Amino acid sequence: MKTIEDINKKIRNGDAVVVRADEMPDIFEENPKKAAEEVDIVTTGTFGMMCSSGAFINFGHSDPPIKMTKVWLNDVEAYTGIAAVDTYIGAAQISDEKGFEYGGGHVIEDLVAGREINLRAEAYGTDCYPRKKAATSVTLNDVNQAMLFNPRNAYQRYNAATNSSDTVLYTYMGTLLSNKKNVNFAGCGEINPLMNDPEYRTIGFGTRIFLGGAKGYVTGEGTQHNPKVGFGTISVKGNLKEMSDEYLKGATVQGYGTSLFVGIGIPIPILDEDMARRTAIRNKDISVKILDYGVQRRDRPVVREVSYEELFSGKVAIDGKQVRSSPLSSMKVSIKIMEQLKQWIEAKEFYLTKPVETLPKDTVLKPMKPKSETPFVNDVMTKKVIYASPTDSIGRVSVLIVDNNIDQVPIIDEEGKLAGIVTAWDLTKAIATKKTRLEDIMTTKVITSRKGEYVDVVARRLGKHQVNSTPVVDDDRKVIGIVTSSDINKVLNRR
Amino acid sequence: MNKYILKFPSDVVSSPVLAETILETGTVLNILRAKVDYNEGTIVISVLGDEEKQKKVVEILTRKGVEVSKLRKGIINEEERCVNCGACISVCPAGAISFDKEGSIKIEKEKCHRCGICLEVCPRRSLSIQEY
Repeated sequence: MKTIEDINKKIRNGDAVVVRADEMPDIFEENPKKAAEEVDIVTTGTFGMMCSSGAFINFGHSDPPIKMTKVWLNDVEAYTGIAAVDTYIGAAQISDEKGFEYGGGHVIEDLVAGREINLRAEAYGTDCYPRKKAATSVTLNDVNQAMLFNPRNAYQRYNAATNSSDTVLYTYMGTLLSNKKNVNFAGCGEINPLMNDPEYRTIGFGTRIFLGGAKGYVTGEGTQHNPKVGFGTISVKGNLKEMSDEYLKGATVQGYGTSLFVGIGIPIPILDEDMARRTAIRNKDISVKILDYGVQRRDRPVVREVSYEELFSGKVAIDGKQVRSSPLSSMKVSIKIMEQLKQWIEAKEFYLTKPVETLPKDTVLKPMKPKSETPFVNDVMTKKVIYASPTDSIGRVSVLIVDNNIDQVPIIDEEGKLAGIVTAWDLTKAIATKKTRLEDIMTTKVITSRKGEYVDVVARRLGKHQVNSTPVVDDDRKVIGIVTSSDINKVLNRR
Repeated sequence: MNKYILKFPSDVVSSPVLAETILETGTVLNILRAKVDYNEGTIVISVLGDEEKQKKVVEILTRKGVEVSKLRKGIINEEERCVNCGACISVCPAGAISFDKEGSIKIEKEKCHRCGICLEVCPRRSLSIQEY
């Protein structure tokens, strides 16, 4: 048994034994008792895109003073619904000008790198704060406090992602190819901070950590902290002015938005054999679910369970096929963080703290409380479908469109399965190009939906593919209904 | 195998130059990337076969008015920007990207099709295609 004080005394005397989390499993396996006695600290690390990150910045007062009601930093809007010149710049906020190519995460990186950023502010003006507009450029040196304050970082582990649908999806889990052709995963597995103290015996409010290249602190559980299923999170705080752009880097996630790569390292004190055993965890012992992002629901189906070891191997077996897997966190930088933290401790520059409160272990993750029932496709679709068969003439389809006042007609083959779709525009083109057979003009790659899908999901699909309606099909690709954007808008507007 | 970038001027764009070249030389070639707009077309091909065949393909294409240049470089990774996260690995259709022993991104230019998918996926915008 050791205490934090014992370990700090060893640090002071220069004889604390510090090892990296990736080195601990072998040390422990050789002799568990000896490992617990001799190793004092195991350093952990992670470097991944953590959207729930941002910084509070106080810009100081202008003359005449302004109470900012809107503020932009390099054209990225920051929150200023707090005191006059306090703002919060969030990593996921995108630039008004550059969109996904530049966001709050990039602003933070630029500031930390010492680069000048443009500030533009608007206000309504008061007796004490008369000014209505302000524009200037500042560096991190020019501002008062700049605190990195991240409400949710360093997920203990995270589900991996694949996509069973027939279109490429752009998600916060990266670009997911169609038909489960790749797997992306986040997290650092065996070297992840919380993974090395899964009972949260040593981590909590007040734990001193490595944050963005400087000393920072855990400020308690993070948002969505879900300890019962091993999905713990932490919130963290640190002084941005002391940090380094080597460990805080802006990120663009294709088709999704912006984020911030955050470097976090936590020293785990080896108080006893239990802590030694916990820090000896290996990638093969950590299981992760691969979820199907092709299903756009909160609870996505599990494709299979894998270990971090398999994920890191670069190939994962899915439906009997080997598909490529990508980590989204950097192992290289994570290892560097563990090494850096180890060096600080060995150089007596970093001492451990006992948390004031450890992280809660009984928090439950709640879903958003719904105000009313979200409608399904089944609730809004037209069940009596006007359709044609592939052998019908263009003339007959034209009559169907005119008589029923519709824009498009699904084409159904003799087995009742969806073969294609023909729109009024296709018919116009057919006349212009002198084509007469329906089969030659119909679109065979049809955007479809299922009766159990939420209308919001289908609305997004219609918008993405710029179509006005979609046939509703069952498992056998039989058409059981049709849903149009106006059907959907009617129910969505009612909410 | 070598890779070539072909530039088609507007007057050549609409003729079946590649098909003719295949028929005339009996060479197997693979189109890796193609982009055609109003003024010109750009096609990247890989040509199988020995030196002799390669030379013949280049000769015929040049004769037909196509500007041919051999590709020497693949995707370039600006290491100062890259954080080695690996987001580019799983989307690469050619399987050309992996980690080396130090955990750094490694791109095998022989395998690379120069499709550019990785450029779009890269969170750090550290990748670029060199057109020579």
